Amino acid sequence: MNKAPFAAALLLGLLLPLAGGAAGAAAQTDRDAVLNIAYGNRPGTLDPYLTTNNATSDVDRNIFEELFVINDKFQPVPELVESYRVSPDNLTYTFNLRKGLVFHNGQSLTADDVVASMNRWLAVSTQGKANLPGARFDKLDAYTVSLTLKTPSLITLNILADVKNIAAIMPKSIIDRAQGDKQPVTELIGTGPYRLAEFKQGEYLHLTRFDGYIPRQEPASGLSGKKNAYVKDIYFRYITDESTRLAGALTGEYDLVFNLPKDNIDQLIHAPGIHLYAPASGGSLITYLFNKQTGPFADIKLRRAFNLALDVNSVLVAGYSDPQFFSADSSLGFPQQVDWYSEAGKPFYNQHKLDEARALVKESGYHGQEVVIIATKEYAELYNLAIVAQQVLKQIGINSRLDVYDWPTVLQRRQDPKNFDLCALEFSMRQVLHQYPFLDSRAHFPGWSNSPDIDGVLDQIKQAPSLKAARPLVDKLHVLTWQYLPVIVLGHTQPDIIAVKNTVQGYDDLIGPILWNVRVNKQ
Amino acid sequence: MIWYTLHRILALIPVLLVVAVVVFCLVHLTPGDPALVILGDNASPGDVLALHQQLGLDKPLPEQFWRWFAQVLRGNLGHSLFLGDSVASLFAQHLKPTLALAVLAQSIAMALGIGGGILAAYRRGRWADRIIMALATFGLSIPGFLLGLFLIFFFAVHLRWFPVVGYKSDGIGLWQNLYYLFLPALALAIRIAALLARMTRTVMLEVLSEHYIKTARAKGLSEWSVLWRHGFKNALIPVLNICGESFGSLVTGAIVIESVFGIPGIGLLIVDSIERRDLTVIQGSVLLITVSYVLINLIVDLTFGFIDPRINVSRS
Repeated sequence: MNKAPFAAALLLGLLLPLAGGAAGAAAQTDRDAVLNIAYGNRPGTLDPYLTTNNATSDVDRNIFEELFVINDKFQPVPELVESYRVSPDNLTYTFNLRKGLVFHNGQSLTADDVVASMNRWLAVSTQGKANLPGARFDKLDAYTVSLTLKTPSLITLNILADVKNIAAIMPKSIIDRAQGDKQPVTELIGTGPYRLAEFKQGEYLHLTRFDGYIPRQEPASGLSGKKNAYVKDIYFRYITDESTRLAGALTGEYDLVFNLPKDNIDQLIHAPGIHLYAPASGGSLITYLFNKQTGPFADIKLRRAFNLALDVNSVLVAGYSDPQFFSADSSLGFPQQVDWYSEAGKPFYNQHKLDEARALVKESGYHGQEVVIIATKEYAELYNLAIVAQQVLKQIGINSRLDVYDWPTVLQRRQDPKNFDLCALEFSMRQVLHQYPFLDSRAHFPGWSNSPDIDGVLDQIKQAPSLKAARPLVDKLHVLTWQYLPVIVLGHTQPDIIAVKNTVQGYDDLIGPILWNVRVNKQ
Repeated sequence: MIWYTLHRILALIPVLLVVAVVVFCLVHLTPGDPALVILGDNASPGDVLALHQQLGLDKPLPEQFWRWFAQVLRGNLGHSLFLGDSVASLFAQHLKPTLALAVLAQSIAMALGIGGGILAAYRRGRWADRIIMALATFGLSIPGFLLGLFLIFFFAVHLRWFPVVGYKSDGIGLWQNLYYLFLPALALAIRIAALLARMTRTVMLEVLSEHYIKTARAKGLSEWSVLWRHGFKNALIPVLNICGESFGSLVTGAIVIESVFGIPGIGLLIVDSIERRDLTVIQGSVLLITVSYVLINLIVDLTFGFIDPRINVSRS
């Protein structure tokens, strides 16, 4: 494929909305517009506390608001909070809430709602449990709440602003009902710019403008700042077949089309009436995950041998076909995450030293045991990476077998350390490195990391006075990760390109779509 | 007739029992844990265990079966593990698009297939016969998903005559609904039309060679009357049999077309449920589909008696 026209068209696509947006958009904005979105995955539950699934968070971020959200620099900034202070021992946070806000049911937002919501979130969400264990919210007065931690944590506000496991504030009555039934929240009431109008399982989810919404006044940045609901109705239309979504983009049936087939992106570049939007955030970490509890890869020498043998670029090309879909990178953090990005692991990365790898295999205790690579064909890229792993292992004299299952079976089988030794896996971009479950031994994530050094440095980062002060620790974490190899980081996927109809202006994205501040021009 | 109908309905009970046992065993013996799918990658073993207890998945298999089957006998198919809704309401919600698609596809297939079959028989050995039979062979051999994609890219993307998706329920009216459903219905109808055309042609050829047809022509009746009143009416039973069977398969087997055209029907519900290991929905839906299939067959059998009084279904 000739990449120059693609890059030019993509750049043009990125610039077009900006140019168009400036040219008298207000005069043409259709306040009654309907935004039709072709979306690939249906949400299982809409309860934001129970899942980190994109299909849920992409919808819920329009309905709910949090105490904090992240701006376009991935820094946590207040959303429902007016002001806050932290105690000198960093164990207590006091949050003053914004006054005069109302939920979609007309009820006013008070400290009771925040305390009920956040305590359920701390108890139920994986983020709350993993990163703020033993923490508690209390009411101080009608518009003031406190958060008390067991141990100081530098990443507290980042975790509260989590993009996936949204710490949504809901009315206390709804939380009480969910707690009583031990069931997910089914009634979705938030304070966000859009309210849920209808969810027709399997077909569409309809959001409509919440007229009682009171926005913040700071300029919009990432998920923070002023939100304007210019569009009246938003429909997430669930179209599972990617060819149908592609056809819908070509015919202009949808205003925004997500999850486009990578092989057909070229077809869309010159399509009339649409432009392509490449999000700046939201890719995934591409990894090989080892079982470090039992089997051949419990031996660190064998993990290092496999890493030594890898020619990362050819592995990634085999998996993702074209460099427009990935970037080869040794960092756990993404380049735009200035506080977490590090090149300290680079000396260990992409070595392609086959002879040294073979020598290390001999030096290890490996005696011809069969390595089991667990894989699924449901994710073609990961399946291709598994095939490549098998070839690389063969090159350095390690026997292997590919066990292929459907995805739910892979999820179940990999819970048992006896079932696999290696698998290719993507981890969605997270705000802080602590959210990657393969690092901390206390997460008991399949793969079963057991490195007191990594656990220790994760804790040291949390206890550092600031992220700037923690910088050397972030580098140290990278070096330790590359030495211990809980996973081999191969690189980052590029976020999926989105097809946007030319009548749509102001579309932005931060680990998911930002639909407020989107305008549709009158036709 | 009443006894026959009752007998057939009673005969459903052992069928359903066997289906219930087989489906339950298949679903539960297939690897894949719904709790892991629900909780996602970051779930701790404690979370998984707690959810197993909440969903009753920690109990022995026979106990789980009995709990589920006792509920089924009371008319309760349970609740989806993921969506919270009852299986019956989910099924009903997804049945509407599937039924609409099946009825339209069946109508198109009957119009094309029966019309084509009669014409081919009437024009036996001529160009019309050859073209219709060639099209029927093509229709039988092309995979449904390929035909669906072809229809989308030709009629929706290239010509822009139809929308790319096949269903819209947000208050658009009957004609708009039919407009949205036309392409997927056509994709589904082609194979059945091909089957019907071949069967109709064969039966019609047989009937048209009968003496009473010659007598009818000798009496000076119009060709139209000979073909329809004397010919087709007597060829109807095997054709109707294929219609009945194909309608059953349309309701239950439109999975691929529903997926290609984004139609939220029963097929998609089951595929989604299998992907998520939503055990109760899979079990309940398969049971309901079995009932629908058997009932459709029963209705077709009973219809034979009305069409041709020589067939006495109560003695068959």
